[in-house]
Amino acid sequence: MQCLRAPLSDLSVLERQRPRVEWQQQGEEQSDYQPYDADYCMQSLLPVETAFRALHSCGGGVENENHGNVHGSNDCFSNAWPDIASGMHCPVVGAAASVEETSVNASSSSSSSRKRKSENTRRSKENSGSDGKDDINCKRLKEETGGGATPEAEQPTSKENDKAPKSDYIHVRARRGQATDSHSLAERVRRERISQRMKYLQDLVPGCSKITGKAGMLDEIINYVQSLQRQVEFLSMKLAAVNPIMDINIDSFFGGREINPTCKPGSISMIGMSSELLDQAYLQLGSLQHDMFMDSPALLLRPDVNPPAAVSDTSLGSCLNVSGSSVWNTNLQNVYGVEFQLGRGTALPFQSLQGNLLPNNPKMEM
Amino acid sequence: MQVRNSFKLALLKQMLLGFQLSAVSSNSMSVPERKNAIKLSADAAMVFARGSTRWTRGLVAGLSENSNNEDLLRGILGKKYERLSLPCRSSWKIPRSRKILKRCLGLCSRRKKATATQHDVKSGSTLARRLVKKRIQVLKKLLPGGESMAGFSLLDQTLDYAVSLKAQVDIMRRLLKISKASNLNK
Repeated sequence: MQCLRAPLSDLSVLERQRPRVEWQQQGEEQSDYQPYDADYCMQSLLPVETAFRALHSCGGGVENENHGNVHGSNDCFSNAWPDIASGMHCPVVGAAASVEETSVNASSSSSSSRKRKSENTRRSKENSGSDGKDDINCKRLKEETGGGATPEAEQPTSKENDKAPKSDYIHVRARRGQATDSHSLAERVRRERISQRMKYLQDLVPGCSKITGKAGMLDEIINYVQSLQRQVEFLSMKLAAVNPIMDINIDSFFGGREINPTCKPGSISMIGMSSELLDQAYLQLGSLQHDMFMDSPALLLRPDVNPPAAVSDTSLGSCLNVSGSSVWNTNLQNVYGVEFQLGRGTALPFQSLQGNLLPNNPKMEM
Repeated sequence: MQVRNSFKLALLKQMLLGFQLSAVSSNSMSVPERKNAIKLSADAAMVFARGSTRWTRGLVAGLSENSNNEDLLRGILGKKYERLSLPCRSSWKIPRSRKILKRCLGLCSRRKKATATQHDVKSGSTLARRLVKKRIQVLKKLLPGGESMAGFSLLDQTLDYAVSLKAQVDIMRRLLKISKASNLNK
C-alpha cells in the first residue's frame, strides 16, 4: 500500500485527530445499542474510510465481505495510520467498559475479519512508539473488565501478544471480538472444559481420532460404554461357567497388608498348576507385566514341578487355605504352586477425574 | 487411560472377597445365580475401588434396590456402604429444578416458534443440536445415576465410568484366563 505514504504527509495533525474524536463521540453515543465487537469497530471506520478513499486510490484492493464494510480497507489503514488503528481500540473499549449487560455477539465475527484485526493490532504495536499511552490505556481497560467480571474463571485466554499484569484475580482475557461480561466468559470457560473432556474421551475410545463432531463423538462414546457393559456381562457368565473359581484366603493372599500404591515386584501363587501349564501361565501372565500385581512376599514359592509331594513351604501352607472344591484335589494338604515374577507395574497415578486433571498433561497412556 | 495399580488391586481384592462371601465356588448355585453374584461382586468391587463419585452412588442405589443384594453389598463395601447410599445433597432437587426450567424454556420457545415464520428445512445447527440431545439422553440412561446429571458433569462422569469399566473388564478377563488355565489341571 505504497500509495498511502504520500497522503500521510499532506494531512495535518489536526485532520488526523478529528476522525478519532468523532469516533469517540460516536462510541459514547452508540454505547447503548452496540455490543463491543468487531463489527462495531469496523463500522466506526466507515466515515474515515470514505474520506480517505477520495484522497488516494487504494479502493481497488478493497473486498467487501459479509459484514459489508471496511475489512479490506484495514490493510490500507494499518501501515499508514497507526494512530487511527490504535485509536480504534479506545472508543470501542470505552464502549465496552460502559456496556455491561449487552448480548454476546461473539461468534458472529468471521474468522477472516479476526485475522485482519490481529494483523492490525500487531502492526499498531510495532508502530506504537507515539501511541504507547493509548495502548496501555486500552490494555488496562480490558484487564479491569476481564478481571472484575470473572474471579472464578480458570484459564487466561488471549489472542494478543501482551501479557496480563499480575493481580489477585484470575484473569480471563476477553478475546477480540467477544463480549466481556461475566456470563459469556463463564460460558466460554464451561465450553472449554467440555471440549477438554471430549478430547480425553477421544483418547480413551479407540478409533475416535478422526471424528470431529460432538454428535459423532457421543455416538462412539455410547457404543463404547455399551460394549464394555456387555463385556462385563459376558465375562461374568463365563466366570460362572468356570467351575469353580479359585478360592483364596484373601487376607493372607494379599499379605494381610494394606494395598500400597507403589507396585513392587511380587508374585502370585497359582494353585494346582502342573508343569505344562507353567509356561502357558507364564505367557498369559506375561501380559500382566505391564500392570499389577500382588505384593506379598509371604507368598513367594519356589518353583515346583513335582507331583504332589510334600512341598510344604510351611509359611505358605499356613497362609493359604484352599477351600474344598471339586477341582482341587482335596487330598492335597500341601500347596504347591508356582512363582510368577510379575514385573513392576507402571505406577502412573490415576488422574483424578473430578476436575483435577492437569491441564498440561493430556496424554493418556495405558 | 492412566489407572493406578492400587485401583486394580483393590478391585480384584474386593471381587475375590465378594466371590468368597457369596460362595460362588460351591456347587449349590445354578449358573445364572452364579453369574449374577459374580457381576454384583464385580460392580461392588469397582465402586469400592473408585470411591465416592456420582456414578458410584447411582450404581449403589441401583444395586441396593434389590433386597437380596444388600448383604453382599455391605460385606464388600463395608463402612463405605452407608456413605455411598446417602443421596447426594442436591441429587433430587437438581433434576426437579432442571425439569421446571426446561418446561419453561420449552413453552417460551414454542411461543416464539408460533409467532415466527415457519421454515421448511431445519437449519444445520438445530439439526445438530437435536442429534446431540438425543445422544445425551441415551447416555443418561446408560450411565448409572446419569439422570440427575447434565452437561459437563455428565461427560466427566462418563469418562470416569468408562475408565473404571475398562479396568473391571481387564481384571475379569485375566481372572478368567487364570481360572481356565488352572482348571486344565483337573
